[in-house]
Amino acid sequence: MKLKSRSVQNSGIPTASMADIAFLLIIFFMVTISFEVDKTQVTLPTTKIRFEIPKEAAYVSITESGKIRVSSGEEISVVVGSADDVLSFAASVVGTYPGRPFVLKADRGVPYEYVDRVIDSLKQSKAEVIYLLSQQETVGEDPAEAGG
Amino acid sequence: MKLKKDTISDEIPTSSMADIAFLLIIYFMVTTTFAATRGLDFSLPQEEETQPLVEKEESILIEIRPGGAIYVDDNPMELEDILEDYIKEKLEANPTKPVIIRPDPNAEYGHMVDVFDELRQAEEKIGFEIRNVSIPTQREIDMFWY
Repeated sequence: MKLKSRSVQNSGIPTASMADIAFLLIIFFMVTISFEVDKTQVTLPTTKIRFEIPKEAAYVSITESGKIRVSSGEEISVVVGSADDVLSFAASVVGTYPGRPFVLKADRGVPYEYVDRVIDSLKQSKAEVIYLLSQQETVGEDPAEAGG
Repeated sequence: MKLKKDTISDEIPTSSMADIAFLLIIYFMVTTTFAATRGLDFSLPQEEETQPLVEKEESILIEIRPGGAIYVDDNPMELEDILEDYIKEKLEANPTKPVIIRPDPNAEYGHMVDVFDELRQAEEKIGFEIRNVSIPTQREIDMFWY
Protein backbone atom coordinates (compact mmCIF):
# COMPACT_ATOMS: atom_id res chain seq x y z
CA MET A 1 0.00 0.00 0.00
CA LYS A 2 1.28 3.38 -0.99
CA LEU A 3 1.47 5.75 1.92
CA LYS A 4 0.11 9.22 1.40
CA SER A 5 2.85 11.79 1.58
CA ARG A 6 2.64 14.09 4.54
CA SER A 7 1.19 17.47 3.61
CA VAL A 8 3.61 20.31 4.18
CA GLN A 9 2.18 23.40 5.86
CA ASN A 10 3.54 26.69 4.55
CA SER A 11 4.73 28.73 7.51
CA GLY A 12 4.82 32.09 5.62
CA ILE A 13 2.06 34.69 5.71
CA PRO A 14 0.61 35.15 2.21
CA THR A 15 1.42 38.72 1.26
CA ALA A 16 0.94 38.57 -2.48
CA SER A 17 -2.22 40.67 -2.40
CA MET A 18 -0.78 43.23 0.04
CA ALA A 19 0.44 45.50 -2.75
CA ASP A 20 -2.98 45.38 -4.46
CA ILE A 21 -4.72 46.45 -1.25
CA ALA A 22 -2.16 49.15 -0.63
CA PHE A 23 -2.53 50.55 -4.15
CA LEU A 24 -6.31 50.57 -3.81
CA LEU A 25 -5.91 52.65 -0.64
CA ILE A 26 -3.50 54.99 -2.45
CA ILE A 27 -6.02 55.49 -5.27
CA PHE A 28 -8.71 56.25 -2.68
CA PHE A 29 -6.56 58.91 -1.01
CA MET A 30 -5.49 60.41 -4.35
CA VAL A 31 -9.11 60.74 -5.47
CA THR A 32 -10.41 62.18 -2.21
CA ILE A 33 -7.55 64.47 -1.25
CA SER A 34 -8.27 68.16 -1.55
CA PHE A 35 -5.64 70.75 -0.94
CA GLU A 36 -6.88 73.48 1.35
CA VAL A 37 -6.20 76.95 0.04
CA ASP A 38 -6.90 78.50 3.41
CA LYS A 39 -5.54 76.99 6.59
CA THR A 40 -6.48 79.81 8.95
CA GLN A 41 -7.26 78.42 12.38
CA VAL A 42 -10.70 79.62 13.47
CA THR A 43 -13.50 78.33 15.67
CA LEU A 44 -16.37 78.02 13.23
CA PRO A 45 -19.97 78.64 14.24
CA THR A 46 -22.17 75.56 14.39
CA THR A 47 -25.33 75.18 12.31
CA LYS A 48 -27.91 72.49 11.66
CA ILE A 49 -28.45 73.53 8.04
CA ARG A 50 -25.33 73.01 5.94
CA PHE A 51 -24.85 72.84 2.21
CA GLU A 52 -21.92 71.47 0.26
CA ILE A 53 -19.61 74.26 -0.83
CA PRO A 54 -18.50 74.10 -4.49
CA LYS A 55 -14.84 73.14 -4.86
CA GLU A 56 -14.05 76.21 -6.92
CA ALA A 57 -14.75 78.99 -4.46
CA ALA A 58 -12.91 82.06 -3.25
CA TYR A 59 -12.14 82.28 0.47
CA VAL A 60 -12.19 85.16 2.91
CA SER A 61 -11.22 84.22 6.45
CA ILE A 62 -11.41 86.39 9.55
CA THR A 63 -9.71 85.40 12.79
CA GLU A 64 -11.01 86.33 16.21
CA SER A 65 -8.61 89.28 16.31
CA GLY A 66 -9.93 90.58 12.97
CA LYS A 67 -7.03 89.50 10.78
CA ILE A 68 -8.26 88.92 7.22
CA ARG A 69 -6.87 86.44 4.67
CA VAL A 70 -8.12 85.99 1.12
CA SER A 71 -7.73 83.43 -1.63
CA SER A 72 -9.33 83.27 -5.05
CA GLY A 73 -9.40 79.50 -4.70
CA GLU A 74 -6.45 79.06 -7.03
CA GLU A 75 -3.65 79.82 -4.61
CA ILE A 76 -2.83 79.76 -0.90
CA SER A 77 -4.51 82.56 1.04
CA VAL A 78 -2.67 85.80 1.79
CA VAL A 79 -3.14 88.40 4.49
CA VAL A 80 -4.80 91.67 3.50
CA GLY A 81 -4.73 94.88 5.47
CA SER A 82 -8.33 96.01 5.53
CA ALA A 83 -11.84 95.52 4.18
CA ASP A 84 -10.98 97.93 1.34
CA ASP A 85 -8.41 95.39 0.17
CA VAL A 86 -11.15 92.76 0.30
CA LEU A 87 -13.21 94.92 -2.07
CA SER A 88 -10.42 95.12 -4.65
CA PHE A 89 -9.67 91.41 -4.21
CA ALA A 90 -13.35 90.44 -4.60
CA ALA A 91 -13.76 92.70 -7.63
CA SER A 92 -10.82 91.03 -9.33
CA VAL A 93 -12.18 87.54 -8.51
CA VAL A 94 -15.65 88.43 -9.85
CA GLY A 95 -14.02 89.92 -12.96
CA THR A 96 -11.81 86.89 -13.58
CA TYR A 97 -14.20 84.13 -12.50
CA PRO A 98 -17.77 85.43 -12.90
CA GLY A 99 -20.27 83.62 -10.69
CA ARG A 100 -17.63 82.16 -8.39
CA PRO A 101 -19.03 81.78 -4.87
CA PHE A 102 -17.26 83.25 -1.86
CA VAL A 103 -16.74 81.33 1.35
CA LEU A 104 -16.68 83.35 4.54
CA LYS A 105 -14.63 81.51 7.11
CA ALA A 106 -14.95 83.64 10.20
CA ASP A 107 -14.35 82.87 13.85
CA ARG A 108 -17.63 82.66 15.74
CA GLY A 109 -16.30 85.06 18.37
CA VAL A 110 -15.25 87.85 16.00
CA PRO A 111 -17.15 91.14 16.49
CA TYR A 112 -19.78 91.43 13.76
CA GLU A 113 -18.45 94.78 12.53
CA TYR A 114 -15.49 92.98 10.90
CA VAL A 115 -17.82 90.56 9.15
CA ASP A 116 -20.14 93.42 8.17
CA ARG A 117 -17.33 95.23 6.36
CA VAL A 118 -16.31 92.09 4.50
CA ILE A 119 -19.90 91.25 3.47
CA ASP A 120 -20.34 94.85 2.34
CA SER A 121 -17.19 94.61 0.21
CA LEU A 122 -18.46 91.39 -1.35
CA LYS A 123 -21.85 92.99 -2.06
CA GLN A 124 -20.20 96.00 -3.67
CA SER A 125 -18.03 93.78 -5.84
CA LYS A 126 -21.20 92.12 -7.20
CA ALA A 127 -20.53 88.72 -5.66
CA GLU A 128 -23.57 86.51 -6.08
CA VAL A 129 -23.41 83.93 -3.30
CA ILE A 130 -21.63 83.77 0.03
CA TYR A 131 -21.30 80.55 2.00
CA LEU A 132 -20.95 81.00 5.73
CA LEU A 133 -18.61 78.15 6.62
CA SER A 134 -19.84 76.23 9.64
CA GLN A 135 -19.46 73.04 11.60
CA GLN A 136 -22.21 70.50 12.10
CA GLU A 137 -24.27 71.18 15.19
CA THR A 138 -24.69 67.96 17.12
CA VAL A 139 -28.01 66.90 18.64
CA GLY A 140 -28.67 68.53 21.97
CA GLU A 141 -25.90 71.07 21.57
CA ASP A 142 -26.63 74.59 22.68
CA PRO A 143 -25.62 76.88 19.79
CA ALA A 144 -24.83 79.66 22.24
CA GLU A 145 -22.26 77.52 24.01
CA ALA A 146 -20.90 75.66 20.99
CA GLY A 147 -17.34 76.34 20.07
CA GLY A 148 -16.43 77.75 23.47
CA MET B 1 35.74 20.85 -11.59
CA LYS B 2 32.05 21.66 -11.71
CA LEU B 3 31.27 25.09 -13.10
CA LYS B 4 28.54 27.05 -11.38
CA LYS B 5 25.94 28.40 -13.78
CA ASP B 6 24.41 31.81 -13.02
CA THR B 7 20.64 31.64 -13.19
CA ILE B 8 18.77 34.88 -13.90
CA SER B 9 15.23 35.06 -12.58
CA ASP B 10 12.69 35.87 -15.26
CA GLU B 11 10.28 37.48 -12.71
CA ILE B 12 10.03 41.15 -11.86
CA PRO B 13 11.03 41.60 -8.21
CA THR B 14 7.94 42.90 -6.47
CA SER B 15 8.82 42.18 -2.87
CA SER B 16 9.40 45.89 -2.09
CA MET B 17 6.22 47.02 -3.86
CA ALA B 18 4.12 46.74 -0.71
CA ASP B 19 6.69 48.76 1.26
CA ILE B 20 6.61 51.57 -1.31
CA ALA B 21 2.81 51.48 -1.42
CA PHE B 22 2.51 51.69 2.34
CA LEU B 23 4.94 54.60 2.44
CA LEU B 24 2.69 56.42 -0.05
CA ILE B 25 -0.38 55.60 2.04
CA ILE B 26 1.28 57.03 5.13
CA TYR B 27 2.15 60.18 3.17
CA PHE B 28 -1.47 60.65 2.04
CA MET B 29 -2.85 59.89 5.50
CA VAL B 30 -0.57 62.48 7.10
CA THR B 31 -1.20 65.21 4.51
CA THR B 32 -4.94 64.70 4.14
CA THR B 33 -6.92 67.22 6.11
CA PHE B 34 -10.60 66.77 6.61
CA ALA B 35 -11.62 70.32 5.97
CA ALA B 36 -15.05 71.72 6.76
CA THR B 37 -16.57 72.14 3.34
CA ARG B 38 -20.15 72.90 4.25
CA GLY B 39 -21.96 75.97 5.32
CA LEU B 40 -25.02 78.16 5.06
CA ASP B 41 -25.55 79.73 1.67
CA PHE B 42 -26.52 83.35 1.51
CA SER B 43 -27.53 84.83 -1.84
CA LEU B 44 -26.65 88.46 -2.23
CA PRO B 45 -29.12 90.79 -3.90
CA GLN B 46 -27.63 92.51 -6.90
CA GLU B 47 -27.39 96.22 -6.24
CA GLU B 48 -29.64 98.45 -8.25
CA GLU B 49 -29.44 102.17 -8.81
CA THR B 50 -32.46 102.78 -6.63
CA GLN B 51 -32.85 100.61 -3.56
CA PRO B 52 -36.41 99.91 -2.47
CA LEU B 53 -37.07 101.43 0.92
CA VAL B 54 -38.51 98.92 3.34
CA GLU B 55 -40.92 100.39 5.83
CA LYS B 56 -40.27 99.23 9.36
CA GLU B 57 -43.89 98.16 9.79
CA GLU B 58 -43.71 95.99 6.68
CA SER B 59 -40.89 93.83 7.97
CA ILE B 60 -39.85 91.77 10.95
CA LEU B 61 -36.69 93.18 12.50
CA ILE B 62 -34.46 90.84 14.49
CA GLU B 63 -31.82 92.72 16.42
CA ILE B 64 -28.87 90.95 17.98
CA ARG B 65 -27.33 92.86 20.86
CA PRO B 66 -23.83 92.43 22.28
CA GLY B 67 -23.83 89.33 24.44
CA GLY B 68 -26.33 87.60 22.20
CA ALA B 69 -29.64 89.01 23.45
CA ILE B 70 -32.24 88.85 20.69
CA TYR B 71 -34.98 91.44 20.17
CA VAL B 72 -37.68 90.77 17.60
CA ASP B 73 -39.54 93.99 16.76
CA ASP B 74 -38.25 95.37 20.07
CA ASN B 75 -39.48 92.35 22.07
CA PRO B 76 -36.82 90.30 23.88
CA MET B 77 -36.99 86.66 22.78
CA GLU B 78 -35.15 83.38 23.10
CA LEU B 79 -33.63 82.00 19.89
CA GLU B 80 -35.78 78.87 19.90
CA ASP B 81 -39.01 80.88 20.36
CA ILE B 82 -38.58 83.25 17.42
CA LEU B 83 -40.17 81.01 14.81
CA GLU B 84 -42.97 79.41 16.80
CA ASP B 85 -44.01 82.35 18.94
CA TYR B 86 -43.67 85.28 16.57
CA ILE B 87 -42.65 84.75 12.95
CA LYS B 88 -45.14 81.95 12.23
CA GLU B 89 -48.11 84.13 13.07
CA LYS B 90 -46.75 87.15 11.18
CA LEU B 91 -45.85 85.24 8.04
CA GLU B 92 -49.09 83.29 7.93
CA ALA B 93 -50.81 86.63 7.43
CA ASN B 94 -48.23 87.84 4.90
CA PRO B 95 -45.81 85.19 3.57
CA THR B 96 -43.73 87.73 1.64
CA LYS B 97 -42.96 89.84 4.71
CA PRO B 98 -39.21 90.50 4.79
CA VAL B 99 -37.26 89.33 7.83
CA ILE B 100 -34.29 91.55 8.54
CA ILE B 101 -31.41 90.46 10.75
CA ARG B 102 -29.55 93.39 12.22
CA PRO B 103 -26.64 92.45 14.46
CA ASP B 104 -24.99 95.07 16.63
CA PRO B 105 -21.42 95.82 15.45
CA ASN B 106 -20.15 94.50 18.79
CA ALA B 107 -22.26 91.34 18.76
CA GLU B 108 -20.45 88.09 18.03
CA TYR B 109 -20.64 86.77 14.48
CA GLY B 110 -21.62 83.36 15.88
CA HIS B 111 -24.86 84.79 17.27
CA MET B 112 -25.81 86.13 13.84
CA VAL B 113 -25.19 82.68 12.34
CA ASP B 114 -27.31 81.08 15.08
CA VAL B 115 -30.25 83.32 14.18
CA PHE B 116 -29.78 82.83 10.43
CA ASP B 117 -29.59 79.05 10.94
CA GLU B 118 -32.79 79.15 12.99
CA LEU B 119 -34.62 81.05 10.24
CA ARG B 120 -33.40 78.57 7.63
CA GLN B 121 -35.04 75.79 9.64
CA ALA B 122 -38.45 77.42 9.30
CA GLU B 123 -39.79 74.84 6.86
CA GLU B 124 -39.00 72.04 9.29
CA LYS B 125 -40.22 73.86 12.40
CA ILE B 126 -43.24 75.88 11.30
CA GLY B 127 -44.12 74.23 8.01
CA PHE B 128 -43.17 76.92 5.53
CA GLU B 129 -40.03 78.57 4.25
CA ILE B 130 -39.15 82.18 4.96
CA ARG B 131 -38.74 83.59 1.47
CA ASN B 132 -37.18 86.91 2.23
CA VAL B 133 -34.35 87.04 4.78
CA SER B 134 -31.89 89.89 4.51
CA ILE B 135 -28.85 90.98 6.47
CA PRO B 136 -28.21 94.60 5.52
CA THR B 137 -24.73 95.94 6.06
CA GLN B 138 -24.04 99.09 8.07
CA ARG B 139 -23.42 101.04 4.85
CA GLU B 140 -26.82 99.98 3.48
CA ILE B 141 -28.48 100.87 6.76
CA ASP B 142 -26.88 104.32 6.71
CA MET B 143 -27.91 104.83 3.09
CA PHE B 144 -31.37 103.34 2.90
CA TRP B 145 -32.74 102.95 6.44
CA TYR B 146 -35.23 105.66 7.00
